[in-house]
Amino acid sequence: MASVTLQHVEKDYGALRILHGVDLEIADGEFVVLVGPSGCGKSTLLRMIAGLEEVTGGEIRIGERLVNDVAPKDRDIAMVFQSYALYPHMDVSSNMGFSLMLKKAEKTAIDSRVGAAAKRLGLDSFLGRLPRQLSGGQRQRVAMGRAIVRDPKVFLFDEPLSNLDAKLRVHMRAEIKALHQQLKTTSVYVTHDQVEAMTMADRIVVMHDGYVQQVGHPLELYDRPANSFVAGFIGSPGMNFLPAKVAKGGNVDAVLADGQKLRLPDGLPLKDGDALTVGLRPEHIRLADDGPLKGEVEVVEPLGLSTQFYVRLANQQVCVFVMGRSNVRPGDTVRLAADPEALHLFDPPSGNRIS
Amino acid sequence: MTYAVSEIRSAARPRKKRLSKAAIEPWLYLSPAIVLLVVVLLVPLIIGISYSFRKFSAFKSEYVGLGQYQAMLSDAVLGQALINTLWWTVASLFFQFFLGLGLALLLDKPFYGRRIVQAVVFLPWAVPSFLSGLTWAWLFNPIIGPLPHWLFALGLKAEPTNVLSDPATAMWGPIVANIWFGIPFFAITLLAALKSIPTELHEAAAIDGASPWQRFTKVTLPFLAPTIVITVMLRTIWIATFADLIFVMTEGGPAGSTSTVPVYIYVSAFKSLDKGYASAVAVLLLVLLIAYAIGLIAIRRTLVRHV
Repeated sequence: MASVTLQHVEKDYGALRILHGVDLEIADGEFVVLVGPSGCGKSTLLRMIAGLEEVTGGEIRIGERLVNDVAPKDRDIAMVFQSYALYPHMDVSSNMGFSLMLKKAEKTAIDSRVGAAAKRLGLDSFLGRLPRQLSGGQRQRVAMGRAIVRDPKVFLFDEPLSNLDAKLRVHMRAEIKALHQQLKTTSVYVTHDQVEAMTMADRIVVMHDGYVQQVGHPLELYDRPANSFVAGFIGSPGMNFLPAKVAKGGNVDAVLADGQKLRLPDGLPLKDGDALTVGLRPEHIRLADDGPLKGEVEVVEPLGLSTQFYVRLANQQVCVFVMGRSNVRPGDTVRLAADPEALHLFDPPSGNRIS
Repeated sequence: MTYAVSEIRSAARPRKKRLSKAAIEPWLYLSPAIVLLVVVLLVPLIIGISYSFRKFSAFKSEYVGLGQYQAMLSDAVLGQALINTLWWTVASLFFQFFLGLGLALLLDKPFYGRRIVQAVVFLPWAVPSFLSGLTWAWLFNPIIGPLPHWLFALGLKAEPTNVLSDPATAMWGPIVANIWFGIPFFAITLLAALKSIPTELHEAAAIDGASPWQRFTKVTLPFLAPTIVITVMLRTIWIATFADLIFVMTEGGPAGSTSTVPVYIYVSAFKSLDKGYASAVAVLLLVLLIAYAIGLIAIRRTLVRHV
């Protein structure tokens, strides 16, 4: 096991810069998830840690060792690919034992390690099968098994669950997490699915356009997003963003596009007339008869456990999430309230959080 | 479908009539293909085989049973032709395959101008074999071609003479031309197979600790194996029956040193005008090649059943 340190890591493809100086410190035994929309550079960063992409600038260290120019096989890492990349002509046990076979380990040692990993993953009865004779979930397990058998310093996961159906994905998510808790091997996990990131990560790294947007514990990102990108990316249903202007009277209010006012928290560096973006999580909006905001319900989505409304407010659709059931119907006019402390305020041009 | 058919059957009242109609109908749809196959493949094949049991002379033919097959047993020229065929096929195939594989591996790597190189490399395939045979014959001719002089300058030949005129070396002429002609076939098919290997497999193998050579033998080759078996089989049959190049370049000479079985068949049928004997030799070649194909397919079953 080892830590992974990235210092100002850069990557260019020709004239195009994919990664702009990424700094990241991954502690020994930590499970870090790189998350972002496609094209944000998260997979490239992972492949650079693996040694599959050259490093244009900066330094990558695994433990204390600088690995910029170290071949993938000498980095003591294991990688699980999105496509699993199982060798189609080898059975499960050969797939899992391939790396040990290449190291010329003894047959009995290979068998015992493959056997132990197979047992851990529930693959004992499939060892003689070929990958094409396995289901998607089983193939995924074999890919994990191949990584475990090597007992590497770092596990790298490149969207390992993307090819599974929704139900299996939830199941494997929990399995990977449980596995990490047993093995405690440093893990870097790439996904575009923020739910995966939230549920699995010790720490999340949100990336966008080749920049790290924010690094933090899942709830830290949820509660105090550093900018409007992180705020919009983390959380489902997503945060509502309402453009507004600051109005300072007795209280500090935000005047929305249609003139409705929303009370803002005190003590923020705001000037009268400033433009700002108000971020409101759907679950922080209440239906309240005395609420300051008024809007017409356009869509009602009953989910059983909860209900989601889409309300026309300040010339846009705003999502409201309430627990339980509701007899509000589309076309009804409702009054809404939100606590000033629950608001997220962002500076419109930069998108940065105002705090 | 089965459901629908059984329904129709049970619903039909004049049962026997409907049944026979249903049985004939699919054959009617297949008939154009069947007629074509019978006319262009089966009929000539049967006629050819039947010729091998007959002796032809100027105006008549007579049935001789296995007489011509017995004659083959004591035909020294045929024996030499069989050895020549083996030599011609193995040497051509060996170099075509390994050079083609090397070319495919090179073309699989990205480099500047790859598309143009690819197009140029595949050009020999587009040249008519008659034309390439003539061109190669000229290249080997010391009066107009440079090759004998180059071989002489390199010390590979004592004198700049024509390779094709020396019985000891004549076979190398058509073989070289055939290698040049056949490399693109292997390069195209193996390149297509190489492109179908997912890059992640190579990356996974690289992480697992495989050296480039191990990646080639453990990942690339197993993927190529099915393609290799099929192309080698096809190519062997094509080369073994390919007479154009040899006939254009040497006409089987000098002194029968380049006479392969197909050349011998051609000469027997159209120069000696012994159609019956030519047919018997052709049947022999057919049997040998079918045996070879069956053997290779059996090997393929045991070797590459996993892919």
